[in-house]
Formats: sequence, C-alpha cells, structure tokens
Amino acid sequence: MESNENKLCEETYFNTFYLKHVQSASNFAYYKCGDSDAALDFVQDAFSKIWENCSKINFTKAKSYLFTTINNLFLNTIKHAKVVMEYAKAAPYIDKTNESPEYILQEEEFKKKLQNAIALLTDAQREVFLLNRIEGKKYREIAELLEVSQKAVEKRMSSALKVLRDHIENI
Amino acid sequence: MKNNKDILKWFENELGEEEFSELKQSENFETLEKIAHYAKHMKAPEVNPQDALMAFKKRNLNKKSPKVIDFNFKTIIKVAAILVVMLTSSYFLFFNNDLSFETEIAQTETLTLPDGSEVILNAASNLHYNKKEWASHRFLELEGEAFFKVQKGEKFTVNTSSGTVQVLGTQFNVKRRVNYFEVQCYEGLVAVTYDKKTVKLPPGKSFRVVNNTIQLVDDFEAEKPSWMQNESSFNKVPLREVVSELQRQYNINVKLENVEEDLLFKGAFTHENLEIALKSITIPLDLNYKIEGKHVVLYRK
Repeated sequence: MESNENKLCEETYFNTFYLKHVQSASNFAYYKCGDSDAALDFVQDAFSKIWENCSKINFTKAKSYLFTTINNLFLNTIKHAKVVMEYAKAAPYIDKTNESPEYILQEEEFKKKLQNAIALLTDAQREVFLLNRIEGKKYREIAELLEVSQKAVEKRMSSALKVLRDHIENI
Repeated sequence: MKNNKDILKWFENELGEEEFSELKQSENFETLEKIAHYAKHMKAPEVNPQDALMAFKKRNLNKKSPKVIDFNFKTIIKVAAILVVMLTSSYFLFFNNDLSFETEIAQTETLTLPDGSEVILNAASNLHYNKKEWASHRFLELEGEAFFKVQKGEKFTVNTSSGTVQVLGTQFNVKRRVNYFEVQCYEGLVAVTYDKKTVKLPPGKSFRVVNNTIQLVDDFEAEKPSWMQNESSFNKVPLREVVSELQRQYNINVKLENVEEDLLFKGAFTHENLEIALKSITIPLDLNYKIEGKHVVLYRK
C-alpha cells in the first residue's frame, strides 16, 4: 500500500494512468459542458492537480479524484454550452433489415428528438444517463465515480428517462 | 413502480428474459427501446490520448512535495538564542527579589515588609531588601531616614553605611545623612553597632554621631518621630544638619552668610510652610533670612 501511494509521482506510472483515463475523463467533462475544447481543458487542469499533489493522493482513489476534480472545476465555471451529443458515424438503426426510406426518415427524426431531449436534461441527469448508455457503466460504478450513493444514481437515471420519454412522445 | 425498477435494470443489462418479455408488453416501450438504442450510439468528441499527454507535459508543472524543514545547526542556534533571552528576561521579571524603594525631596512613603513590619521613609531616602531572603533573615539597607515598626520575630537588621541597627521587635527611627547618624528608640530595645562598638538603646534614648564623634543627647518623650507629623525637631543638632533637612523637605537651596554652621539648634520646623519654618529656625538663633525664589539666605544682623 505504502509503495502504491507514491506511484503517481513516477512519471511512467502517471503517463499510463493519464492515457488510460483521458478519454473517459474528457467524455465525462463533455457530458457536463458540451464543449470539446472546454472539456479537454477541464481534464488537463484536473490531471495537473493530480500531478502536483501526487504525494498526497492515494493511488487507489486517483480515478475518483480525477472525476471529482473535473466536476468541481466545472461547477466553478458559470456558463456552459447546450450539450448536443453527436451520433457515431456507423450507428445502425434498430431494424437493420428495413431499408425503406420511410423507416429511415422516421428513425432519423427520432434521433434528432433524442438529441434535443438530452440537451434538456439537468447536468446530474445527463451525466448519469450518458455514463450508463455510452460508457456502459453500472449504476454502482457511476456512484463510485461521482462519490454519491447508488440510490442517488438510480434516481437520476429514472428522472432522466422520464424527461426523455415525456419530451419525445409529446412532440 | 415495478415497471420503473425493471426499466432501470434493463438499462443496466441486468434484466432477466422473463421480466424483459413482460416489460416489452408495457405501453410506449418502443420509445424506450429507441432511447436505449440510439443513445448508445452517441459519442463525445474523441481525444487523441498521446497528443493530449504531449500537450499536458508542456504545462511544466512542479510536484508539490511535502514541506521538509531541515533540522540544521542554524535553527538550533536561533532557538537556543530565543530561549536564553526568554529565560534571562523572565528571571529578571519574576525571580529578581531585590526590592528597592526611593523617596524624592519633600516626599514620604509607607511600606509594609513581608513579615508585616512597617517602614515609613522620610524624604530623599532609599531602602532596599531581598524579598526571598527576608523569611530567613530580616535584613535591609538604608540611606536616609526611616521609622521602623518591627513585628516580633527573628533579628531585624538595618544596615547603613555608618552603622548597623539590630532589634527584635520595636519601634525606632534611623537617620543616616552626610556626616550624621542618629538612631532613636521608641519602644523595646535597639542595639546600635557603630565603629565595632555596640550600644543598647532603651525607649526614649537616642544615639547620635556627628562628624564621626558620638554625642550625648537628652532623652525624648515623643511616641513617634516628629517628621511623621510633618515636622522636623532637633535636640542640639548642628545648624548644618538642620539646614540640610530643610533643603530635603522644601526642595530649596539654603546659604549661610556670616553664620557658624556648628551652631547648635534645639527646636522644630514645620514641613508645610516655608516662612514659618524659617522663622522657627532663625528667631531662636537670632538670625535673619531672605527668600529669592528657590534660594534662601540665612544671615546674622
């Protein structure tokens, strides 16, 4: 344990840690602020804090420290852009065999609605929802990452789904 | 509500086959399915980890290492110096038991010693003693004139540059001025040591040395020295000493013109009014006086 604690101060170990988490950290920051440049800034600032305080941070807690720091840095900013999520290029439709233009149009329209609806979520709802959907994380993992209870995560997820459904169906 | 729980489970991929088919039957499941499906295919802007790391390294950060203060010799010296200063100053503040009292011209002061004995200091006098040693031996040094009311107890010693007075518990007056040393006993018995000889004084007796010669003095009947009632009284005392007492009580400068300073004076003068005091000195001696500010001249007609 003792030796692990100072591992973060070793450059090679820190680099590995950095490369391993930079993408998920920047995703997380993006779910919050909706600006890719700002997201990367948050991430770099958070990593800086970890590097500067490497001797004080328990390495087993480093990941959650990273996410907490990003969250705090985000909370310190006053404004943020509307979070509009993009779809991956090769996103398949649910019915892969149906190639009728009608179906495709309908699905494209749904995708647009979903994008708009996600932008309406609160920061807390959105980060939980997207961490679950995109990163495929369990509620327990999300709870650990955000340092809240699993119950709280489930509540946010439910409320997020409710907002999304209501919004999509009402249009 | 159960529905809600199942939905959450399904989003976590934890829902069993049976429950899923049940959930599928619920209304608007289609929307939910689409939400689940399409949201999965969203993505945040990609980051090139290597590039990001390169950019990060350019930040030129410093590790904050825990502060380590070297335990070097210089610090020890500094600390030691401070300790020495503090210890010595506290010694002088709290453990220095040498007490000193001084009176100015025309001022008297009443002191109580640690054993309850009282000392009344006449004008322009100086007394000091050690508080710590007082319990084991009562010893004090005096320059000037003071009246002592000594509590019964161990030997009580008053040391002056002319001689030493020792008592057990009495009331007495000690006067030590330039070329003048006088002890008067008011109660009990006082032992006066002068020039290696000891004289015992019963109440009403005085011991006086003027110009290094012991003089015989008439008995007195007062219970307290007259100076304590704001008066100085003299019994055949050379005029020189009377004048210097006058100077001590009034803060003036007295000059004698055409007057022998060995003239003996018997009488008293008040400390409250200079004119009256001067008259009570000059009339019995058939002298005149004039006052010029702080200067007084006594002269023969």
